[in-house]
Amino acid sequence: MRWLAVFYTVGICCALSVAALAADPGPVESLKSFSDFQQVDLNRLLSGDVLSERGSLMDFPNGISAQTCFVVPVSAEETAKRLQLWDPSPHGELKVFAFHPLHTPCELADFQQLDFKMSQRPVRWLLEKTVASTPVKSDLNLTHDEAQQLAACVQKRADPQKVSDCWAKLLLGRASAFQQKGLDGAQPYDAAGESVSPPIQLRTMLREQLAIAHEFSPILKRIGLLGNETTPSLTPFYYWTIFDADYHGTISLGAIYQLAVGDHFQLVDMEYYVSGNYYTSATLFEVWPVEVGGKPGALVWRGDFFAAPMLAFTKGTERIAYGALMLQDIKKEIHFFQVEAKTR
Amino acid sequence: MKPGLIALLALLLPGATIWAANSMSISQELDVEYGYIGGAGTRGGGLNVGSVDEHSADLKYVISPQLNKDLLLRIGFEWQRFTFGVPDHAPLPGVLQQASLVLGFDYQIADEWLMRVEVQPGIYSDFRDITWRDVDAPLVVGAAYLASADLQWFFGLRVDARTQYPVLPAAGVRWKFSDVWTLNFMLPKPRLEYDVNERLKLYLGAEIQAGTFAVGQDFGSTRGLPRLDNAIVDYLELHLGSGCSWKITPTVTIEAEAGFMPYRSFDFFDPNIVFRSHDAPYGQIACHARF
Repeated sequence: MRWLAVFYTVGICCALSVAALAADPGPVESLKSFSDFQQVDLNRLLSGDVLSERGSLMDFPNGISAQTCFVVPVSAEETAKRLQLWDPSPHGELKVFAFHPLHTPCELADFQQLDFKMSQRPVRWLLEKTVASTPVKSDLNLTHDEAQQLAACVQKRADPQKVSDCWAKLLLGRASAFQQKGLDGAQPYDAAGESVSPPIQLRTMLREQLAIAHEFSPILKRIGLLGNETTPSLTPFYYWTIFDADYHGTISLGAIYQLAVGDHFQLVDMEYYVSGNYYTSATLFEVWPVEVGGKPGALVWRGDFFAAPMLAFTKGTERIAYGALMLQDIKKEIHFFQVEAKTR
Repeated sequence: MKPGLIALLALLLPGATIWAANSMSISQELDVEYGYIGGAGTRGGGLNVGSVDEHSADLKYVISPQLNKDLLLRIGFEWQRFTFGVPDHAPLPGVLQQASLVLGFDYQIADEWLMRVEVQPGIYSDFRDITWRDVDAPLVVGAAYLASADLQWFFGLRVDARTQYPVLPAAGVRWKFSDVWTLNFMLPKPRLEYDVNERLKLYLGAEIQAGTFAVGQDFGSTRGLPRLDNAIVDYLELHLGSGCSWKITPTVTIEAEAGFMPYRSFDFFDPNIVFRSHDAPYGQIACHARF
């Protein structure tokens, strides 16, 4: 009877394995199931192509989205790790002046490399906008209290060191609140008389992309962008960065979360504070293991969601052009990421 | 947009029903311009017409419903009028006028390429005695190559069977070469622009105003030049000037400019009689709304 028991056990295991294989549609089919990509030629992706699609028009007037898909010649686990820690600043074309991790809990020293002495015109622009800010009027994304504190700190002096110190204090306050309270700590901006909350903007955009929101629900629920959880139960990589957004210096605070889901990985890079020009953005990644030339590689789907005030007034062909240009920037970033992955 | 019109368009056009749900899927353009050119000495056909001044006005409205992610329709109208202060019995039209529909589409043909096809069927005439000869439908086919956020190339072709040059190609570029300077070298209004701030822009530039019109059946006879009866005139006007553009709201921009009109021509190309004007000051105001 023992051999019969072994036979049945082996038989059941085989049946379950077959069922599991049948149930697992594979990376390409998974990708097709929620994305805008209905034709995915893995061979073209393996040769370095990047698939891209502008997102369809949103009801949310400030929102725009785009999707891309590419392959990286390192394992899925390693790709996910690199995506979480990737520093774009060495690539001049991406116009990122500085990118720095934050400690947990963050401290003032984390922002010591924030430098308004840089000769770049966009940084100069941000310095001028900072000096021009008053408690009642500012072109920057600030609360009334922040505007008041910044004005009192800067005292209308265009001293780069002073402005750097004032911004460091403001960013420390924002980053600490986020580290402690998650999205509840991301205070809304008081922009042009209305309150603009980055988390609400992100949730609104995700709600319009039900298939994507459903696919990413494991990680989105854990970080509080979906569901009732407000304090993230995942520990992210926290960072601050300063970059050129359409000739305007922009500082942002972000957090990149990663979650293993079965054999693949989901990541969310969320900007919970942006100093100006736009409100917020989130980049979602799903990373599956694939084989590239007999070696482990990763198939990556990327979705970008971006909210900006001027988008509400950007319609028709202008909006199509805006989406096309946004995709160009994203593809440039992907290109540098792929190049790094090949060389390191 | 009125619900009745949406319902009608929904019957005619697939995908039109999405418009009712999404206000972002309909864009509208309204352009209004008025200009005045001072008296300019005008000669042609062996005649000295004397000093001719000019009032011009243009009103264009286009509504663009987005049919799908890549395709927008363009439906609208344009009215343009040139009024010339010509002495009595001078062989020049007192009015040249266009009243046309705007029909076309914008389409994204590739990641970096956008195209526009637009036809403007209507009446292009001195509006003295309107016949089928006054009806025309110039076609414009254009493409834009989005090299980057700072550099875009434009290519265009104007097709008008009635004019002396039925096919006119054109190319242009928009190059933002610094945070405040943009070379907007696109016809018919090539400009070098300087951003004073987010709302105010100063520019130096040129403008070409052109059109092809039919004049009345007895236009020439009543002016002592019977060869001009029922003729077609290619009208061309060149401006060189500077101005400012002020974005009063995110959707409305007003412009004011002044300068010099070095050249203007009324080319009755079939009888080969050309009247030319030179050197006069001009002023122009405009309002552009995108909503």
